[in-house]
Amino acid sequence: MMEEFSQILLLFISTILVNNFILVRFLGICPFLGVSKQIETAFSMGLATTFVMTLTAGATWMINTYILEAFNLPFLRYVSFIIVIASLVQFVEMFIKKTSPVLYKALGIFLPLITTNCAIMGLALLIPLNNYSFIASIVFGFGAGVGFTLAIVLMAGLRENLEFGDVPEALQGVPITLMIAGILALSFMGFAGMIAM
Amino acid sequence: MTEKAKSLFQIFKNGLWKENPVMVLVIGMCPTLAVTNTGANGFAMGIATAFVLISSEIVISIIKNLIPSNVRIPSFILIIATFVTFTDYFVRAFFPTIAESLSIFIPLIVVNCLILGRQEAFASKNPTHKAIADAVGMSVGFTWVLTLLGIIREFFGMGSIFGLQLLGEWYRPMVIMLLPGGAFLTLGLMVGIYKHLSREG
Amino acid sequence: MEKNSNLSLILTLVTIGLVSAFILSFVYLWTTPYIEANQAEVRRRAINEVLPGAEEIEEIDIDGEIFYEAYDQDNRQIGVATQHSGAGYNGMIDIMVGVNLDDSKVLNISIVNHEETPGLGARITEEGFRSHFQEKPFGDYQAVSTEPTDPMEVEIIAGATISSEAVIKIVENAVEKINTVYGGR
Repeated sequence: MMEEFSQILLLFISTILVNNFILVRFLGICPFLGVSKQIETAFSMGLATTFVMTLTAGATWMINTYILEAFNLPFLRYVSFIIVIASLVQFVEMFIKKTSPVLYKALGIFLPLITTNCAIMGLALLIPLNNYSFIASIVFGFGAGVGFTLAIVLMAGLRENLEFGDVPEALQGVPITLMIAGILALSFMGFAGMIAM
Repeated sequence: MTEKAKSLFQIFKNGLWKENPVMVLVIGMCPTLAVTNTGANGFAMGIATAFVLISSEIVISIIKNLIPSNVRIPSFILIIATFVTFTDYFVRAFFPTIAESLSIFIPLIVVNCLILGRQEAFASKNPTHKAIADAVGMSVGFTWVLTLLGIIREFFGMGSIFGLQLLGEWYRPMVIMLLPGGAFLTLGLMVGIYKHLSREG
Repeated sequence: MEKNSNLSLILTLVTIGLVSAFILSFVYLWTTPYIEANQAEVRRRAINEVLPGAEEIEEIDIDGEIFYEAYDQDNRQIGVATQHSGAGYNGMIDIMVGVNLDDSKVLNISIVNHEETPGLGARITEEGFRSHFQEKPFGDYQAVSTEPTDPMEVEIIAGATISSEAVIKIVENAVEKINTVYGGR
């Protein structure tokens, strides 16, 4: 039991830091570049993504185990995963709209964007590849979301300060953002080796 | 050149430079950064994406009038996912080494914003022959950026181009170019140079 | 029929879904034999690499674990191989390990699958690193960063400590797996 718990904890930490979805696995770059101008919006985006990722991890694990593998239908994996993700996002949107108008105001515009966020689909694809258990999948999904939030908020913080920087004209906007992301990715490499799984 | 052919060529040319998907539209970034550690990988990813983009633009421009607008996006995603699955199995069956090096980034073409974006912006509004011109232009534009990025990273990171060793033993490869950090930095510089060039041009 | 009525929405999606599933099941049936042949080819090459000089290879299933026994032309057993997996730096590493049971030494190893960083961890596939395992006695190995002085020491790749240590761990486990089944013989 203790052994299992520490394994899960290691998975959680390594998903956030060592194998960060954005900076190490290159998943979810689009929102990372698009929605990282302000810390506040970046954090909301991170929250919405974390929420959907955790749900996706559980839902796709079940689909994969009880339908695709049970009936030997691996060729429907991508089609079914994308349907699950799209409907989940739709469902979350409706749910939040009904229950919490405040939250909906904060997250609403980001939710449709999440469907085509490769981090979510990448998460769904990585779970069967790594043979995670149900619990491990949920933790993996949650950890991936936290790692996503961490990276995007860090990025937003840097970009807010960049407003005061003197950036050469050609490098303004996307180029400088990519370069900062590169330095951020390098610093995250410092976590490599922290956990030997 | 007839008027019609000219306008098709204009659409095609758009994707190459002026509206290049990576440089200007900044979409499809995940595969752009992730699989371009060698020129060959970048090129293979470009071709795989091109196949999905062209086939789905053709299909969607043909059946666009049959799809009710409320389920437009889900229908597009379903059609794209079908072509992606086809590509994935095809590459795994006939090009196993490519499948090995691109790993999950072939299935991730499903959520490549470039594909869905072009269906929304172009294929769902235009006739088939124009959709083909758009898809081919965008594909070539996407592929050249990925291939060039791959060549640069491979050259500095391994001293070779397309697997051909160019620099001798004396060269100490800059491994950073193969790592995520190098990918971001190189693409950042490339977009910067692109912006500089298009401003003057 | 109203174009945006619920019925027509559902019908559209169901039709596309059915057509998609229909096409894909054909793609699946068509490509699966090729994909399986590719995987078998990779495995066969790995087995030949770790069991050099084998004339005949027999696949044996013992308690759900697959072992490959190699025989020379006089039908003498020259070695046993098995595939074992473990976590590397980026993902799972699958390694085929061949051993000689007569003198309890590793013959060779082959990396069947890995997702390590190109240029760093991916160098575990290079002959230079893999050859460190040849002629190693069974047991626990010690990772060292300099020229080994003890037979139980394995020199790791500079800059790829995690990948190297992962390989060492997987080889140890594979040898132990073979030893529990074939040991005492």
